[in-house]
Amino acid sequence: MTHAITPGKTRCGRFEAEAVLLLEQGRPLDEHFSSCPDCLAERTAYERLREELHSLGEEDEPPAGWQARVWEKVDRRQGRRWAPWWRRWILPIGVAGAAALAALFLVRTPATAPPGLRIGIEAGETVRRGTEAQPGDLLQLTATTGDAPHTELRVYRNDTELVLRCSTEPPCTRRGEELSASVVLDGVGRYQPLLLLSEDPLPDVASDLDTDTNAVLTSGAGVELGPRVVVR
Amino acid sequence: MLSLVHDSRELPAAVLPDPERAALAALDRGNAEEALSVLMRAYGTIVYRYCRQMVGNDDLAEEIHQMTFIQAFEGLRKFARRSSLRTWLFGIARHRCLDLAKMSHRRKRRFGPLDDAPEPPEPGTSVEERLAERSRSRALEACLHTLSPRVRAAVLLRFQQGLSYPEIARLTEEKAPALQVRVARALPLLRRCLEEKGMAP
Repeated sequence: MTHAITPGKTRCGRFEAEAVLLLEQGRPLDEHFSSCPDCLAERTAYERLREELHSLGEEDEPPAGWQARVWEKVDRRQGRRWAPWWRRWILPIGVAGAAALAALFLVRTPATAPPGLRIGIEAGETVRRGTEAQPGDLLQLTATTGDAPHTELRVYRNDTELVLRCSTEPPCTRRGEELSASVVLDGVGRYQPLLLLSEDPLPDVASDLDTDTNAVLTSGAGVELGPRVVVR
Repeated sequence: MLSLVHDSRELPAAVLPDPERAALAALDRGNAEEALSVLMRAYGTIVYRYCRQMVGNDDLAEEIHQMTFIQAFEGLRKFARRSSLRTWLFGIARHRCLDLAKMSHRRKRRFGPLDDAPEPPEPGTSVEERLAERSRSRALEACLHTLSPRVRAAVLLRFQQGLSYPEIARLTEEKAPALQVRVARALPLLRRCLEEKGMAP
């Protein structure tokens, strides 16, 4: 069997018609395929195609910081999960009782706000909302640190470069339980703000978001991820 | 605001020699978080590469890649151990990629195709060989996208990821012989597509 591939040139078509499937099925090829020059050339071409498919995307790497983002979304989804039916009744009753007790207690005790991290982007006369910014804009971080004795604000650019790290020293400013700092977004990229909270001194940094987040979690500290800011 | 405080996410610094066993051991201890950490470290890159080639777009690949591991975490406690965790993960990733392909198909039917965003310039394009290699890869990527999503998934799982046909059959819930025929039919199409682009293998 032959078919035309280019005008005036033909090749044996048995390899494509039979052997490609036989090879995928792991079955042996008959004598013809080891003696027909066209089929031998075809076989080489298909082997090369398989190799190219195997190495396709070898340079592709998931973006740094992706594991931290998976954990963030896992936590968010777990927080939103529906409770079992019986909990829908038991829980509100319990919560209402606890809230009443807490209200009585809070009348006499000053409130401790839960830890959190807010951001703002300032650009001269205009303030852009959301997480889009331009080079030169100022990223402002305001964190509520609760009663954690060791706290730190960090900002990573493109998940691999630490562009802000401070605790009680400038550019951080502490007022009671509030820790704030600002950093100029001086280049395009993705900026990831973080608040770290720990009972013990925080571990050293490697300037890589994934590595540092793992190290912090391993040490038993807490991480609050702020919204990621994209500078275009 | 979200908290990432989970002691069970701790992992030893050394690379785990047998991630399947380590993840299953963590599950046996009831520690799904540690199991997910092991899976992310062991299979994060290969699952991303598969997603990237399936959807042909960095942002969508990132989204589906993360979604794969989030869904894996939600299903880990019920993992039936009928396949390896790696095969199971690829099954989740494939479903998400096919869902996306369906949505994209519906959108195109209703609103027409969107203009593709221009490709960013390649960094370090000074080496000719690297450029040639890159353009071959791009051509092959483009040819893969002429295949239907199901066929593309089978070709990638077979050749890019090196899964056996029984493994692919398990995760796609199809018959291995049907998959073999599908892939065998796709290879000549890919070859001809490359030839048309002047990139014969």
